Amino acid sequence: MDWLEEELKQALARKEPSADFDARVRRRMVRTMPRWLAAAAAVIVLASGAGLYRHRQGEMAKEQLLQAMRITGEKLSVVQEHMQSIGERQ
Amino acid sequence: MRVLLLTCALAAASFAQQIKIDLDHLAKKAANTVDLSLPSNLIQLGAAMLDPKDPDQAQVKKVVSGLQAIYIKNFEFKREGEYTKADLDSIRTQMKAPEWARIVGVLSSEERETVEVWVKTDAGKVAGLTILAADPRELTVVNLVGSIDPAAIGELSGHFGIPKFSPPKSKKK
Amino acid sequence: MIGIVSTPKAAIDFDAAMQEHRSMVFSVAYHFLHDRDQAEEVAQDVFLSLHKNLHEIESPSHAAHWLRRVAVQRSIDASRRRMRRPVVALENVKEPSVKPAAADPLLGELLRKLIVSLPETQRMVVILRYQEDLDPTEIAAVMGIPVGTVKSHLQRSLALLREKLERRGVGER
Repeated sequence: MDWLEEELKQALARKEPSADFDARVRRRMVRTMPRWLAAAAAVIVLASGAGLYRHRQGEMAKEQLLQAMRITGEKLSVVQEHMQSIGERQ
Repeated sequence: MRVLLLTCALAAASFAQQIKIDLDHLAKKAANTVDLSLPSNLIQLGAAMLDPKDPDQAQVKKVVSGLQAIYIKNFEFKREGEYTKADLDSIRTQMKAPEWARIVGVLSSEERETVEVWVKTDAGKVAGLTILAADPRELTVVNLVGSIDPAAIGELSGHFGIPKFSPPKSKKK
Repeated sequence: MIGIVSTPKAAIDFDAAMQEHRSMVFSVAYHFLHDRDQAEEVAQDVFLSLHKNLHEIESPSHAAHWLRRVAVQRSIDASRRRMRRPVVALENVKEPSVKPAAADPLLGELLRKLIVSLPETQRMVVILRYQEDLDPTEIAAVMGIPVGTVKSHLQRSLALLREKLERRGVGER
Protein backbone atom coordinates (compact mmCIF):
# COMPACT_ATOMS: atom_id res chain seq x y z
CA MET A 1 0.00 0.00 0.00
CA ASP A 2 1.28 3.46 -0.82
CA TRP A 3 1.02 6.52 1.38
CA LEU A 4 -2.37 7.58 -0.03
CA GLU A 5 -3.88 4.19 0.67
CA GLU A 6 -2.56 4.31 4.23
CA GLU A 7 -4.06 7.76 4.68
CA LEU A 8 -7.36 6.55 3.27
CA LYS A 9 -7.43 3.68 5.76
CA GLN A 10 -6.97 6.14 8.59
CA ALA A 11 -9.44 8.67 7.22
CA LEU A 12 -12.05 5.95 6.78
CA ALA A 13 -11.58 4.36 10.21
CA ARG A 14 -14.89 3.20 11.60
CA LYS A 15 -16.87 5.58 13.75
CA GLU A 16 -19.45 4.84 16.43
CA PRO A 17 -23.03 6.06 16.11
CA SER A 18 -24.68 7.98 18.95
CA ALA A 19 -24.71 6.44 22.42
CA ASP A 20 -28.45 5.78 22.30
CA PHE A 21 -28.36 4.14 18.87
CA ASP A 22 -29.38 0.70 20.10
CA ALA A 23 -32.24 2.13 22.11
CA ARG A 24 -33.53 4.02 19.09
CA VAL A 25 -33.52 0.91 16.97
CA ARG A 26 -35.42 -1.02 19.65
CA ARG A 27 -37.99 1.74 19.96
CA ARG A 28 -38.59 1.72 16.24
CA MET A 29 -38.88 -2.03 16.34
CA VAL A 30 -41.84 -1.93 18.67
CA ARG A 31 -43.46 0.78 16.65
CA THR A 32 -43.46 -0.67 13.15
CA MET A 33 -46.82 -1.50 11.73
CA PRO A 34 -47.00 -4.20 9.12
CA ARG A 35 -46.84 -2.63 5.70
CA TRP A 36 -49.24 -5.21 4.34
CA LEU A 37 -51.94 -3.74 6.52
CA ALA A 38 -51.92 -0.34 4.84
CA ALA A 39 -52.08 -2.00 1.42
CA ALA A 40 -54.75 -4.44 2.56
CA ALA A 41 -56.83 -1.64 4.02
CA ALA A 42 -56.75 0.23 0.71
CA VAL A 43 -57.80 -2.84 -1.24
CA ILE A 44 -60.58 -3.67 1.18
CA VAL A 45 -61.99 -0.15 1.10
CA LEU A 46 -62.10 -0.28 -2.68
CA ALA A 47 -63.80 -3.65 -2.60
CA SER A 48 -66.50 -2.10 -0.34
CA GLY A 49 -69.33 -3.97 1.31
CA ALA A 50 -70.40 -3.65 4.92
CA GLY A 51 -68.86 -6.95 5.96
CA LEU A 52 -65.52 -6.17 4.41
CA TYR A 53 -65.57 -2.67 5.86
CA ARG A 54 -66.26 -4.04 9.33
CA HIS A 55 -63.50 -6.59 8.97
CA ARG A 56 -61.09 -3.90 7.90
CA GLN A 57 -62.09 -1.75 10.85
CA GLY A 58 -61.57 -4.69 13.15
CA GLU A 59 -58.14 -5.48 11.72
CA MET A 60 -57.04 -1.88 11.95
CA ALA A 61 -58.38 -1.61 15.50
CA LYS A 62 -56.51 -4.77 16.39
CA GLU A 63 -53.26 -3.43 14.97
CA GLN A 64 -53.74 -0.16 16.81
CA LEU A 65 -54.34 -2.06 20.05
CA LEU A 66 -51.16 -4.03 19.52
CA GLN A 67 -49.22 -0.89 18.75
CA ALA A 68 -50.61 0.84 21.82
CA MET A 69 -49.64 -2.05 24.06
CA ARG A 70 -46.17 -2.28 22.54
CA ILE A 71 -45.53 1.37 23.33
CA THR A 72 -47.02 1.04 26.82
CA GLY A 73 -45.02 -2.09 27.56
CA GLU A 74 -41.83 -0.52 26.31
CA LYS A 75 -42.17 2.47 28.61
CA LEU A 76 -43.10 0.34 31.60
CA SER A 77 -40.11 -1.88 30.96
CA VAL A 78 -37.86 1.11 31.74
CA VAL A 79 -39.55 1.28 35.13
CA GLN A 80 -39.27 -2.44 35.66
CA GLU A 81 -35.60 -2.46 34.77
CA HIS A 82 -35.01 0.31 37.27
CA MET A 83 -36.89 -1.53 40.01
CA GLN A 84 -35.01 -4.70 39.22
CA SER A 85 -31.68 -2.95 39.56
CA ILE A 86 -32.80 -1.55 42.93
CA GLY A 87 -33.79 -5.02 44.03
CA GLU A 88 -30.43 -6.43 43.00
CA ARG A 89 -28.61 -3.82 45.06
CA GLN A 90 -30.60 -4.70 48.19
CA MET B 1 -39.37 -6.44 44.04
CA ARG B 2 -41.77 -5.92 41.20
CA VAL B 3 -43.00 -2.49 40.39
CA LEU B 4 -45.57 -1.07 42.81
CA LEU B 5 -47.86 -0.90 39.84
CA LEU B 6 -48.26 -4.65 40.06
CA THR B 7 -49.72 -4.60 43.53
CA CYS B 8 -52.66 -2.33 42.80
CA ALA B 9 -56.06 -3.95 43.21
CA LEU B 10 -58.37 -4.90 40.41
CA ALA B 11 -61.21 -2.48 39.85
CA ALA B 12 -64.67 -2.75 38.47
CA ALA B 13 -65.08 -0.75 35.30
CA SER B 14 -65.19 2.91 36.12
CA PHE B 15 -65.14 5.27 33.19
CA ALA B 16 -62.73 8.15 33.77
CA GLN B 17 -62.54 11.27 31.74
CA GLN B 18 -59.42 11.35 29.60
CA ILE B 19 -56.66 13.81 30.40
CA LYS B 20 -56.01 16.64 27.98
CA ILE B 21 -52.98 15.83 25.85
CA ASP B 22 -52.33 19.13 24.15
CA LEU B 23 -49.12 18.32 22.27
CA ASP B 24 -50.22 18.40 18.64
CA HIS B 25 -47.95 21.39 18.00
CA LEU B 26 -45.02 18.99 18.33
CA ALA B 27 -46.12 16.92 15.35
CA LYS B 28 -44.74 19.34 12.80
CA LYS B 29 -41.30 19.22 14.47
CA ALA B 30 -41.28 15.45 14.83
CA ALA B 31 -39.60 13.05 12.44
CA ASN B 32 -42.10 10.35 13.45
CA THR B 33 -45.44 10.70 15.22
CA VAL B 34 -47.79 8.08 16.64
CA ASP B 35 -51.25 9.36 17.56
CA LEU B 36 -53.69 6.74 18.78
CA SER B 37 -57.17 7.40 20.14
CA LEU B 38 -59.21 4.29 20.71
CA PRO B 39 -62.68 4.61 22.23
CA SER B 40 -64.47 1.70 23.82
CA ASN B 41 -66.17 0.40 20.69
CA LEU B 42 -62.89 0.20 18.76
CA ILE B 43 -61.14 -1.45 21.68
CA GLN B 44 -63.83 -4.13 21.76
CA LEU B 45 -63.78 -4.50 17.99
CA GLY B 46 -60.01 -4.88 17.95
CA ALA B 47 -59.96 -7.18 20.97
CA ALA B 48 -62.41 -9.49 19.24
CA MET B 49 -59.90 -9.91 16.39
CA LEU B 50 -57.01 -10.83 18.68
CA ASP B 51 -55.69 -14.34 18.32
CA PRO B 52 -55.85 -16.07 21.72
CA LYS B 53 -53.23 -18.59 20.57
CA ASP B 54 -50.67 -15.86 19.99
CA PRO B 55 -48.99 -15.13 23.35
CA ASP B 56 -48.50 -11.42 22.57
CA GLN B 57 -52.10 -10.96 21.49
CA ALA B 58 -53.45 -13.00 24.38
CA GLN B 59 -51.61 -10.70 26.78
CA VAL B 60 -53.06 -7.63 25.08
CA LYS B 61 -56.52 -9.10 25.39
CA LYS B 62 -56.03 -9.41 29.17
CA VAL B 63 -54.85 -5.82 29.49
CA VAL B 64 -57.52 -4.16 27.39
CA SER B 65 -60.48 -6.17 28.65
CA GLY B 66 -61.49 -3.53 31.18
CA LEU B 67 -60.48 -0.42 29.26
CA GLN B 68 -62.85 2.31 28.13
CA ALA B 69 -60.35 4.31 26.10
CA ILE B 70 -56.71 4.39 25.06
CA TYR B 71 -54.83 7.54 24.13
CA ILE B 72 -51.22 7.57 23.02
CA LYS B 73 -49.10 10.37 21.65
CA ASN B 74 -45.51 9.62 20.71
CA PHE B 75 -43.12 12.05 19.04
CA GLU B 76 -39.64 11.22 17.85
CA PHE B 77 -37.38 14.14 16.94
CA LYS B 78 -34.18 14.38 14.93
CA ARG B 79 -32.64 16.88 17.32
CA GLU B 80 -32.68 17.51 21.02
CA GLY B 81 -34.57 20.45 22.43
CA GLU B 82 -37.69 20.21 20.27
CA TYR B 83 -40.06 19.99 23.21
CA THR B 84 -40.03 22.08 26.37
CA LYS B 85 -40.58 21.65 30.07
CA ALA B 86 -43.91 23.37 29.55
CA ASP B 87 -44.96 20.47 27.33
CA LEU B 88 -44.14 18.02 30.11
CA ASP B 89 -45.79 20.23 32.74
CA SER B 90 -48.98 20.33 30.70
CA ILE B 91 -49.37 16.67 31.63
CA ARG B 92 -47.85 16.80 35.11
CA THR B 93 -50.13 19.62 36.21
CA GLN B 94 -53.19 17.53 35.42
CA MET B 95 -51.74 14.71 37.47
CA LYS B 96 -51.86 16.92 40.57
CA ALA B 97 -55.62 16.45 40.75
CA PRO B 98 -56.54 14.53 43.89
CA GLU B 99 -57.74 11.44 42.10
CA TRP B 100 -54.31 10.90 40.53
CA ALA B 101 -51.30 9.57 42.42
CA ARG B 102 -47.78 9.23 41.09
CA ILE B 103 -46.66 5.73 41.87
CA VAL B 104 -43.22 5.76 40.32
CA GLY B 105 -40.77 8.03 38.58
CA VAL B 106 -37.49 6.70 37.24
CA LEU B 107 -34.48 8.07 35.46
CA SER B 108 -32.52 5.85 33.11
CA SER B 109 -29.14 7.53 33.13
CA GLU B 110 -27.82 5.41 30.26
CA GLU B 111 -30.47 6.71 27.88
CA ARG B 112 -31.26 9.98 29.70
CA GLU B 113 -34.90 8.93 29.80
CA THR B 114 -37.37 9.73 32.56
CA VAL B 115 -40.54 7.73 32.97
CA GLU B 116 -43.33 8.76 35.35
CA VAL B 117 -46.40 6.67 36.05
CA TRP B 118 -49.61 7.88 37.68
CA VAL B 119 -52.66 5.90 38.63
CA LYS B 120 -56.17 7.25 38.94
CA THR B 121 -58.40 5.76 41.58
CA ASP B 122 -62.12 5.96 42.00
CA ALA B 123 -63.74 4.62 45.15
CA GLY B 124 -60.50 2.85 45.96
CA LYS B 125 -60.22 1.10 42.62
CA VAL B 126 -57.90 1.70 39.69
CA ALA B 127 -59.67 3.70 37.02
CA GLY B 128 -56.86 5.01 34.85
CA LEU B 129 -53.15 5.03 34.13
CA THR B 130 -50.94 7.75 32.70
CA ILE B 131 -47.34 7.33 31.62
CA LEU B 132 -45.11 10.25 30.68
CA ALA B 133 -41.79 9.18 29.14
CA ALA B 134 -39.23 11.71 27.95
CA ASP B 135 -35.73 11.46 26.58
CA PRO B 136 -33.78 14.14 24.70
CA ARG B 137 -35.28 13.19 21.34
CA GLU B 138 -38.55 11.47 22.15
CA LEU B 139 -41.70 12.23 24.09
CA THR B 140 -44.47 9.76 24.87
CA VAL B 141 -47.76 10.13 26.71
CA VAL B 142 -49.91 7.09 27.38
CA ASN B 143 -53.37 7.38 28.96
CA LEU B 144 -55.36 4.23 29.62
CA VAL B 145 -58.88 4.88 30.84
CA GLY B 146 -60.85 2.25 32.68
CA SER B 147 -60.24 -0.73 34.84
CA ILE B 148 -56.65 -1.92 34.66
CA ASP B 149 -55.22 -5.22 35.80
CA PRO B 150 -51.74 -4.25 37.07
CA ALA B 151 -50.47 -7.81 36.85
CA ALA B 152 -51.51 -8.08 33.23
CA ILE B 153 -50.03 -4.74 32.25
CA GLY B 154 -46.83 -5.51 34.13
CA GLU B 155 -46.51 -8.67 32.09
CA LEU B 156 -46.38 -6.79 28.82
CA SER B 157 -42.64 -7.18 29.21
CA GLY B 158 -41.68 -10.50 27.68
CA HIS B 159 -43.86 -9.72 24.67
CA PHE B 160 -43.37 -7.72 21.46
CA GLY B 161 -39.61 -8.05 21.75
CA ILE B 162 -39.58 -6.18 25.06
CA PRO B 163 -37.30 -8.01 27.47
CA LYS B 164 -38.91 -9.88 30.29
CA PHE B 165 -37.71 -8.85 33.69
CA SER B 166 -37.78 -11.31 36.53
CA PRO B 167 -37.59 -10.34 40.17
CA PRO B 168 -34.05 -10.70 41.46
CA LYS B 169 -33.40 -13.76 43.60
CA SER B 170 -33.48 -12.84 47.25
CA LYS B 171 -30.10 -13.06 48.90
CA LYS B 172 -29.70 -15.43 51.83
CA LYS B 173 -28.82 -13.60 54.99
CA MET C 1 -28.49 -2.58 29.68
CA ILE C 2 -31.67 -3.78 28.02
CA GLY C 3 -31.18 -6.86 25.86
CA ILE C 4 -33.46 -8.44 23.35
CA VAL C 5 -33.75 -12.18 23.20
CA SER C 6 -33.99 -13.65 19.74
CA THR C 7 -36.77 -16.01 18.87
CA PRO C 8 -35.78 -19.68 19.19
CA LYS C 9 -35.67 -20.14 15.40
CA ALA C 10 -33.08 -17.38 14.74
CA ALA C 11 -29.53 -18.51 14.00
CA ILE C 12 -28.12 -15.34 15.48
CA ASP C 13 -28.83 -13.12 18.44
CA PHE C 14 -30.08 -9.77 17.16
CA ASP C 15 -28.79 -7.79 20.10
CA ALA C 16 -25.31 -9.24 19.75
CA ALA C 17 -25.31 -8.62 16.01
CA MET C 18 -26.25 -4.99 16.53
CA GLN C 19 -23.49 -4.50 19.09
CA GLU C 20 -20.90 -6.15 16.89
CA HIS C 21 -21.78 -4.48 13.62
CA ARG C 22 -23.30 -1.11 14.38
CA SER C 23 -20.08 0.81 13.85
CA MET C 24 -19.51 -0.93 10.53
CA VAL C 25 -23.01 -0.14 9.31
CA PHE C 26 -22.96 3.42 10.59
CA SER C 27 -19.51 4.09 9.18
CA VAL C 28 -20.40 2.88 5.69
CA ALA C 29 -23.35 5.25 5.70
CA TYR C 30 -21.44 8.11 7.31
CA HIS C 31 -18.47 7.98 4.98
CA PHE C 32 -20.78 7.68 2.01
CA LEU C 33 -23.18 10.45 2.95
CA HIS C 34 -20.91 12.60 5.12
CA ASP C 35 -23.96 13.49 7.21
CA ARG C 36 -24.20 12.11 10.72
CA ASP C 37 -27.97 12.38 11.11
CA GLN C 38 -28.66 10.76 7.77
CA ALA C 39 -26.13 8.05 8.50
CA GLU C 40 -27.84 7.27 11.82
CA GLU C 41 -31.18 6.99 10.09
CA VAL C 42 -29.80 4.71 7.42
CA ALA C 43 -28.07 2.57 10.04
CA GLN C 44 -31.28 2.27 12.05
CA ASP C 45 -33.15 1.22 8.91
CA VAL C 46 -30.56 -1.45 8.22
CA PHE C 47 -30.95 -3.02 11.66
CA LEU C 48 -34.74 -2.82 11.50
CA SER C 49 -34.47 -4.65 8.23
CA LEU C 50 -32.24 -7.25 9.85
CA HIS C 51 -34.78 -7.79 12.58
CA LYS C 52 -37.56 -8.28 10.05
CA ASN C 53 -35.47 -10.75 8.09
CA LEU C 54 -33.79 -12.54 10.96
CA HIS C 55 -35.22 -15.86 9.86
CA GLU C 56 -33.19 -15.65 6.64
CA ILE C 57 -29.85 -15.30 8.43
CA GLU C 58 -27.98 -18.56 8.60
CA SER C 59 -24.94 -17.70 10.71
CA PRO C 60 -23.00 -14.81 12.27
CA SER C 61 -20.77 -14.48 9.20
CA HIS C 62 -23.85 -14.45 6.98
CA ALA C 63 -25.22 -11.65 9.17
CA ALA C 64 -22.05 -9.61 8.67
CA HIS C 65 -22.20 -10.03 4.92
CA TRP C 66 -25.94 -9.32 4.85
CA LEU C 67 -25.57 -6.17 6.94
CA ARG C 68 -22.74 -4.86 4.81
CA ARG C 69 -24.69 -5.44 1.63
CA VAL C 70 -27.85 -3.76 2.94
CA ALA C 71 -25.84 -0.87 4.39
CA VAL C 72 -24.35 -0.28 0.96
CA GLN C 73 -27.74 -0.39 -0.76
CA ARG C 74 -29.47 1.85 1.74
CA SER C 75 -26.65 4.39 1.71
CA ILE C 76 -26.80 4.65 -2.05
CA ASP C 77 -30.60 4.93 -1.92
CA ALA C 78 -30.37 7.69 0.67
CA SER C 79 -27.86 9.56 -1.44
CA ARG C 80 -30.15 9.40 -4.47
CA ARG C 81 -33.11 10.58 -2.44
CA ARG C 82 -31.06 13.46 -1.21
CA MET C 83 -30.55 14.48 -4.85
CA ARG C 84 -28.03 17.10 -4.18
CA ARG C 85 -24.35 17.64 -4.64
CA PRO C 86 -21.92 16.71 -1.91
CA VAL C 87 -22.16 18.92 1.12
CA VAL C 88 -18.85 20.75 0.79
CA ALA C 89 -17.72 22.70 -2.25
CA LEU C 90 -14.12 21.66 -2.56
CA GLU C 91 -13.03 25.17 -3.52
CA ASN C 92 -13.98 26.15 0.01
CA VAL C 93 -11.83 23.50 1.64
CA LYS C 94 -8.81 25.07 3.23
CA GLU C 95 -5.66 23.94 1.50
CA PRO C 96 -2.84 22.82 3.72
CA SER C 97 0.30 24.81 3.01
CA VAL C 98 2.71 22.11 4.12
CA LYS C 99 2.89 18.41 3.58
CA PRO C 100 1.00 16.80 6.42
CA ALA C 101 2.55 14.60 9.05
CA ALA C 102 1.22 11.13 9.72
CA ALA C 103 -2.37 10.90 10.92
CA ASP C 104 -2.98 14.56 10.23
CA PRO C 105 -6.61 15.21 11.10
CA LEU C 106 -6.79 17.96 8.47
CA LEU C 107 -5.72 15.55 5.79
CA GLY C 108 -8.18 12.98 7.05
CA GLU C 109 -11.04 15.42 6.85
CA LEU C 110 -9.91 16.59 3.42
CA LEU C 111 -9.82 13.03 2.21
CA ARG C 112 -13.28 12.31 3.55
CA LYS C 113 -14.64 15.31 1.73
CA LEU C 114 -12.86 14.39 -1.48
CA ILE C 115 -14.31 10.89 -1.24
CA VAL C 116 -17.81 12.32 -0.97
CA SER C 117 -17.23 14.16 -4.24
CA LEU C 118 -16.59 10.88 -6.07
CA PRO C 119 -19.38 9.35 -8.13
CA GLU C 120 -21.53 6.96 -6.09
CA THR C 121 -20.17 3.63 -7.20
CA GLN C 122 -16.55 4.69 -6.99
CA ARG C 123 -17.21 6.23 -3.59
CA MET C 124 -18.63 3.03 -2.21
CA VAL C 125 -15.81 0.95 -3.71
CA VAL C 126 -13.27 3.16 -1.96
CA ILE C 127 -15.14 2.90 1.36
CA LEU C 128 -15.39 -0.87 1.18
CA ARG C 129 -11.74 -1.18 0.26
CA TYR C 130 -10.25 1.13 2.86
CA GLN C 131 -12.79 1.15 5.66
CA GLU C 132 -13.70 -2.51 5.50
CA ASP C 133 -10.44 -3.82 4.07
CA LEU C 134 -12.29 -5.93 1.50
CA ASP C 135 -10.48 -7.15 -1.58
CA PRO C 136 -11.95 -6.50 -5.04
CA THR C 137 -13.61 -9.93 -5.22
CA GLU C 138 -15.39 -9.33 -1.92
CA ILE C 139 -16.37 -5.80 -2.97
CA ALA C 140 -17.79 -7.16 -6.21
CA ALA C 141 -19.89 -9.67 -4.24
CA VAL C 142 -21.24 -7.00 -1.88
CA MET C 143 -22.07 -4.53 -4.61
CA GLY C 144 -23.18 -6.98 -7.27
CA ILE C 145 -20.80 -5.64 -9.89
CA PRO C 146 -18.02 -7.37 -11.84
CA VAL C 147 -14.57 -7.66 -10.25
CA GLY C 148 -13.02 -5.93 -13.24
CA THR C 149 -15.31 -2.94 -12.70
CA VAL C 150 -14.29 -2.79 -9.04
CA LYS C 151 -10.61 -2.76 -9.95
CA SER C 152 -10.99 -0.03 -12.53
CA HIS C 153 -13.09 2.06 -10.15
CA LEU C 154 -10.39 1.72 -7.52
CA GLN C 155 -7.64 2.71 -9.93
CA ARG C 156 -9.55 5.71 -11.20
CA SER C 157 -10.58 6.85 -7.74
CA LEU C 158 -7.04 6.74 -6.42
CA ALA C 159 -5.78 8.60 -9.48
CA LEU C 160 -8.46 11.23 -9.05
CA LEU C 161 -7.79 11.64 -5.35
CA ARG C 162 -4.06 11.92 -5.95
CA GLU C 163 -4.62 14.57 -8.57
CA LYS C 164 -6.93 16.59 -6.30
CA LEU C 165 -4.52 16.35 -3.41
CA GLU C 166 -1.57 17.43 -5.56
CA ARG C 167 -3.51 20.49 -6.68
CA ARG C 168 -3.79 21.33 -3.04
CA GLY C 169 -0.11 20.86 -2.45
CA VAL C 170 -0.54 17.55 -0.68
CA GLY C 171 1.67 14.81 -1.92
CA GLU C 172 3.75 11.80 -1.00
CA ARG C 173 5.74 12.14 2.18
